[in-house]
Amino acid sequence: MSLRNAGGCDDETITTEDSDMAWNLPSLSRRAFLKTTGYGGAGLTLLSRVGRLAGGTADEADGEQTSYSICNFCSSLCNIEVTTRSRHGERRIVKLDGNPHSTLNRGKICARGQAGLRQTYDVDRLKTPLIRVEGSKRGEFRFRVASWEEAFRYIAERQQAAAIKPWEWTMVGGWTSCVFYMNWSVPFAMANEVPNIIASPMQHCVTTGHLGTDAVTGNFNVHDEVLPDYDNARYILLISSNGSTGSVSTCRMVRFAQGRKNGAKVVVLDPRCSETAAKADEWLKIRPGTDLAFLLAMLKIMLEEGLYDADFLRAHTNMPFLLYRDDDGQWQPLTDDDGRPLVMEEHSGELRTLPAFANDNRVAADGAGVHPALSVPAGFTARGRPVKTVLQAQIGELAGYTPEWASVSTGIDAATITRIAREFGRSRPAIVNPGWHGARYGNVMMQRRVQAMIQALNGGINKEGGWIMSGEVHHKAAHMFEAMKEGYEPGAPLARLAGMPFAKMVIGAVSKPENFSHGHPGWTWAFNRQEREAGRFNVALPVLTDTGVRESVEGRVLWEEKPYLTRAFFINAANPVRHYYPDSYWKEVLGHDNVELVVAIDVLPSDTVAYADVVLPNSTYLERDEPTLYGNGVNHDLALTTRYAAIPSLYDTEETADLLVKMTEIISGNVDGFIDWVEKLTGLEAAAVRAAWEKTRATHPRGAFAAACRQVSFAQEARRLGISVEELDRELREKGVYFEADRQEVLEKYGMPRRMPVPTDSGRIEFFSNLFHGLRQAGYDSPHFNPLAGFIPARCRKDRPMHAPLEKDEFYFTYGKTPTVSHASTNSNNPVLAAINRFKSDIYKRVWIHPDRAGVLGIRDGDGIRLTNTLSGQQATGQAHVTRLVRPDVLFVYSSFGVENPALHLTEGDGTATNKLVPHQEEPVVGGFRSQEFTIRVARA
Amino acid sequence: MDVTMSYATQDIWTWWIAIYLYFGGLGAATLAVTFLTDMYLKPHRDLVLWGAWSGIVLLALGSLMLFGHLLDHVAVIHVLNPLVLFYQPHAWIAWGTQFIIWMMFWGVLYALPYMYISPFFQKLWGVNRVMDWGWVQKIAELSTRYRKFIGWMATINGVGVAVYTGLLVQSFPAVALWHNPGIPLLFTVSAFSTAMAFLLLLMYVVIHDAADDHIRVLYERIDLVLISVELVIIFSFYQFMSSGDESAMRSLQLLWNDLGWLIGFIGFGLVVPFLLELRGVLKGWTSHVPIVAASLLILVGGYLLRHYIMYNGVYAYPW
Amino acid sequence: MTRYAMVIDLNTCVGCNACMAACAMENQTEVWNDVWRTYVHDKEIGTGEYAHRRFFPRLCNHCDNPPCMSVCPTGATYRLDNGIVKVDQALCMGCRACAMACPYDARHEVTYADVRTGREFYGSDYRRTRPSMDKCTFCDHRLAAGQQPACVETCVGSARMFCDLDDPDDPVTRIVESGVARPLMPHLGTRPNVYYIDDMKRRG
Ligand SMILES: Nc1nc2c(c(=O)[nH]1)N[C@H]1C(S)=C(S)[C@@H](COP(=O)(O)OP(=O)(O)OC[C@H]3O[C@@H](n4cnc5c(=O)[nH]c(N)nc54)[C@H](O)[C@@H]3O)O[C@H]1N2
Ligand SMILES: Nc1nc2c(c(=O)[nH]1)N[C@H]1C(S)=C(S)[C@@H](COP(=O)(O)OP(=O)(O)OC[C@H]3O[C@@H](n4cnc5c(=O)[nH]c(N)nc54)[C@H](O)[C@@H]3O)O[C@H]1N2
Ligand code: SF4
Ligand code: SF4
Ligand code: SF4
Ligand code: SF4
Ligand code: SF4
Ligand SMILES: [Mo]
Repeated sequence: MSLRNAGGCDDETITTEDSDMAWNLPSLSRRAFLKTTGYGGAGLTLLSRVGRLAGGTADEADGEQTSYSICNFCSSLCNIEVTTRSRHGERRIVKLDGNPHSTLNRGKICARGQAGLRQTYDVDRLKTPLIRVEGSKRGEFRFRVASWEEAFRYIAERQQAAAIKPWEWTMVGGWTSCVFYMNWSVPFAMANEVPNIIASPMQHCVTTGHLGTDAVTGNFNVHDEVLPDYDNARYILLISSNGSTGSVSTCRMVRFAQGRKNGAKVVVLDPRCSETAAKADEWLKIRPGTDLAFLLAMLKIMLEEGLYDADFLRAHTNMPFLLYRDDDGQWQPLTDDDGRPLVMEEHSGELRTLPAFANDNRVAADGAGVHPALSVPAGFTARGRPVKTVLQAQIGELAGYTPEWASVSTGIDAATITRIAREFGRSRPAIVNPGWHGARYGNVMMQRRVQAMIQALNGGINKEGGWIMSGEVHHKAAHMFEAMKEGYEPGAPLARLAGMPFAKMVIGAVSKPENFSHGHPGWTWAFNRQEREAGRFNVALPVLTDTGVRESVEGRVLWEEKPYLTRAFFINAANPVRHYYPDSYWKEVLGHDNVELVVAIDVLPSDTVAYADVVLPNSTYLERDEPTLYGNGVNHDLALTTRYAAIPSLYDTEETADLLVKMTEIISGNVDGFIDWVEKLTGLEAAAVRAAWEKTRATHPRGAFAAACRQVSFAQEARRLGISVEELDRELREKGVYFEADRQEVLEKYGMPRRMPVPTDSGRIEFFSNLFHGLRQAGYDSPHFNPLAGFIPARCRKDRPMHAPLEKDEFYFTYGKTPTVSHASTNSNNPVLAAINRFKSDIYKRVWIHPDRAGVLGIRDGDGIRLTNTLSGQQATGQAHVTRLVRPDVLFVYSSFGVENPALHLTEGDGTATNKLVPHQEEPVVGGFRSQEFTIRVARA
Repeated sequence: MDVTMSYATQDIWTWWIAIYLYFGGLGAATLAVTFLTDMYLKPHRDLVLWGAWSGIVLLALGSLMLFGHLLDHVAVIHVLNPLVLFYQPHAWIAWGTQFIIWMMFWGVLYALPYMYISPFFQKLWGVNRVMDWGWVQKIAELSTRYRKFIGWMATINGVGVAVYTGLLVQSFPAVALWHNPGIPLLFTVSAFSTAMAFLLLLMYVVIHDAADDHIRVLYERIDLVLISVELVIIFSFYQFMSSGDESAMRSLQLLWNDLGWLIGFIGFGLVVPFLLELRGVLKGWTSHVPIVAASLLILVGGYLLRHYIMYNGVYAYPW
Repeated sequence: MTRYAMVIDLNTCVGCNACMAACAMENQTEVWNDVWRTYVHDKEIGTGEYAHRRFFPRLCNHCDNPPCMSVCPTGATYRLDNGIVKVDQALCMGCRACAMACPYDARHEVTYADVRTGREFYGSDYRRTRPSMDKCTFCDHRLAAGQQPACVETCVGSARMFCDLDDPDDPVTRIVESGVARPLMPHLGTRPNVYYIDDMKRRG
């Protein structure tokens, strides 16, 4: 049975009275007919001007309403205004706009945001629970309609029959479940003792890219992307970056556009002319994978030529801290016996001790004033060793990385590199875009660190015209620091911890066997420990990764000598078959005989949903009252927001929080424990939730638990703000955002690091990274773990540097996001976005190839081509888009296409599937994907 | 603004509008010519009946083409209303529609008396019944009485239709091939030339009346003049398009690289019939075949002209 | 008096297509048929090494001397005092003369089948009752409500700006008056009211 039939009659269809006669004689309804003037009376009226044949827009809407919500199509979390209209007894969502009250996205939203309402009305939606038809295989997409009771009974029976243990479950979550439902998913994991979570933003962007940035700024958080203050920048450098601006993160693009209008100079490094590069004053066609070389040369020039804000470095970074080389030649921090950092007083040349954790180096541990030196004289020794400052050590590390050196691999001439470095160093305020998606090369994390360092060199951290962290992060950090200072527990960690302490909490929760009564850590931790012991490739911090999932499913991960099996998956708002690499990996994992049960929550039949045994339909974001209040994303202002359901659910769908309760009943029966964990981790009071739930159970056939949580959340926030629940609710209903403090106030009070520490280990901006230093001390010694900035080459071919010539039919592979699609999400099936994608299909859905290379291969525009990965042999097909807007040695594809599930009827079969070309290769710090580290052979298909 | 331009031909008004323009011009001119012949050369029942009814049928067919392609068939009522000329005096379709309606109206009136003396209509089931109605007979009498007036009304409207087809195409300013005064002239001349050809065909193949020789000769001569005028116009179009406007130059490139236009229309639609008729006028033909052939070629050429003109208008878009 | 005009700054249009989506949703256009009231072209320009990418939004220019209106036989195309050129779906018979006359390719057809599909697609809120030609209206219904056109409102690059040319204090009007923003093909005599700011000056 096909899904469309399974969904039953489509509620939207309105029966029409049209006759299908050849002439299409119009069928005027009686009402419309009476409204027409003229011909009814015949006779003389024939000679008067003929009236209108129909009412036009005459009967305007009765009952137009607006409500507020949050966009669900990317982690920019734009505030939106939802317009609904009631006509003929139906209330419909008719338009989405940017929330005009929002200082985040300033009343604007992108194409995906605009088209969002069509997700709710998508005819392909999951409308009822589905159970895979007996005798079919996972992936075949053969389902039967089931009631909720049936679906839950089926899950419970499978769980029991197969005796699936808690640690044999693995949760897979996408970014929406991470941003919006972390407060329930993590407690769910703890209460059910499921130590296994794979979160799709991690290996793709959050850990792989952001952790690099955050190693410098400390800023780690759920979706901790920085929103730079482009408005006020004079110089903007974007490297390997398009999603923030050109392919649209609205809050960034509106500022970028303003900055450009204000006259900022824009320089873009990209191997193809991205949407952002198209807006640049200078587009530098860099060879892919070599940005790190460019940046190291830049860093070198800036440091050597003194193109930095010396006062800032001295006061708020660990640049003046002293280092020495240990016997292995590794840099070690020079500390006093209590582990406190030492610096040299500039004027006296004396050693001074600074507090271990502080934001201002101008106050010594003893409270006296200091003026730490950024450089010590040659031959300076301290505590009996030759020492250097971090700044000097870093300059030393960069010795070989001259612009001439960088020009070889990057393909950008030395003079240009030098010029850009000087321009950047001399223009203040200047911004180097922090970068977002990271998973391209093993060196990207280091690249991000260097980007953050360059940004810090000109003091542009939490300062006008520079990087400005969110109001929410500032606020959280302020509370955390206050608790640290006053010596009390900061409290619910998911709500209270910011930065590195938060990262460490997350790592601790799932990596430590002692956190669970069954004594199992997450299998990825077990697997990486096992690989490490065997001397094989392993990942140091496999935070919420898929590293080892296949081995676990196949029984190749051992824990206490027994196979640590994964036998059940609970997938929520994630699409690993499409989003992870390669597709075959996840198809094999989910299709494996050892896997007894796959449960998927989604709104649309994604390629992954096809691999489920039970499909649980979620309501769409416009049909939801969220179970809590949220911070305002990356907004510099401190504000609260949430979603209000614009219409009641169209179908019999359920809320995520309630589904987690239901799954808890099935897996462990520990629903009470779940609610307690929610309190423990998020601060939402358990007793109050239980009491509210008693009541909402009667009023809410679906989503009762979510509703209860929402009530309590409103009550608690109102209490904190010192207003009534009604006032809070009214403000949010009228404006969609509740502002607590604007950016100026936030920066004045909490600005990091000028007003308070940054949440790194030392409280300073860290050029010498304590995080990486710690890992190196633990024995991780590849260049990825260098505590200072250093070089890591991309390795696209065995033993051949990036600048070595390619074969005639060989190319580097690059990809990027489409302005009209989220990731490789199901919104490529959105009829409005799909229509735009059709309009631009030659650009969006084809493989970009330079005419000089295409010509040699006899490939013309539009020709079918076959792509073969030279390392893995993987293959995919596509059509050529012959264009000079890409480097001759590079292929580019928009990574949004390649859907295979015919149930997504508008997008299935579109474009080239990147997940069929990218092998499962990871870097050693967080298991970040190296999704471009290979080359591709091209031939006519 | 200085931007890159792209050039495109349209796909909105295609063969069906070419047929509309063709049938409109041909039908209207045929009617006008036969009525004029009847009024001033020689009263001629068959010619009038043929002229009026083929004019009406051709216009009906052409209009049906247009009507069939309308997006909203009911709304056509707005152009049928004669007051449209007051509201939309600048819209040629409005004029055209009124010309067509009134040409048909006056055309039937003019032909009506002849229908009473036509054995064909006397036998034509349904029509003969209607002709028996008293008030229809009254009208026929009036028509006989005001013959010249009615004839001129029909003729004026007929000429209006023929001219209108060109004015319509001329009213689209983006396309240099269309937006020039030559187009109405070309379409009008072509309409009358095809009408002559059509009537010659009629008189050689259907009516065969030796007494009509002088009419045939006159038609042949007129047609010869019309074809030469058409050739002159086409030549000046070539001159006009070969320099100046980019849109025109692109149309020229399209047309003068198209064998259908060069050989089909100019060659077989104009030059060959011109030579055939020239020889006929200068030396005479012993058989009817050459003139019949020339007429057929002219008729096909008439369609080709409109077809190529419609398909080869080039828009210059600034993006 | 009010004379509406739009200014499009090509320097900050990033080709994101938000305007296309916004317009479609606001005006219930026939997305299933790949017709739009506004398009954003994505063009490769320049030669050899100097190839570049340009995004070019376009829509009806609301010409002061609109050929689409003068050819319209039914009077369906009309011009408001504020300069907005509109099509009355109830009067339009769909002869497409206007589409032939428009030099800017700004019009598209809506058929009986589209009206049927529209009823399914937009459900009870569907406003159209008759087939007709269709085009941008400058969102006059939004202007009447004191809002900006949908495409302008959401333009994430702030590339689209809207103004009243009769208001000398309007900063966007000043852009027009300064001459940096210029209309397309004014030599045709259409007197368009959509102005573009060139993005080519910044590059050599
Ligand atoms: N091919 C390809 N892979 C990619 C990327 C890419 O661009 N191309 N990008 C990478 C990056 S940077 C990231 S962050 C990740 C993101 O990957 P994900 O976080 O997985 O992101 P999405 O594609 O937005 O959504 C995944 C699933 O959520 C479903 N969904 C949408 N709305 C809802 C809802 O309201 N409720 C529920 N339950 N489900 C919903 C969608 O139907 C889809 O199946 O992908 C990574 N992988
Ligand atoms: N439309 C849209 N926007 C989004 C999202 C979305 O799904 N859709 N998702 C959001 C999320 S979660 C993320 S992570 C961000 C991602 O945003 P980004 O990090 O900007 O990622 P991409 O758009 O994938 O790629 C950016 C550019 O990098 C270029 N590139 C590829 N390889 C290299 C290289 O080696 N060197 C250099 N210099 N350039 C290279 C590509 O050509 C592309 O233009 O986007 C956010 N915004
Ligand atoms: S940038 Fe676009 S997709 Fe992302 S949240 Fe904003 S409107 Fe939604
Ligand atoms: S752009 Fe075209 S449709 Fe718009 S007013 Fe001008 S001529 Fe008419
Ligand atoms: S299609 Fe409609 S609006 Fe256009 S000219 Fe014809 S009647 Fe007028
Ligand atoms: S002004 Fe309104 S109708 Fe015109 S393109 Fe913009 S959104 Fe569409
Ligand atoms: S919304 Fe604005 S920036 Fe985006 S494509 Fe349209 S005009 Fe350009
Ligand atoms: Mo991401």
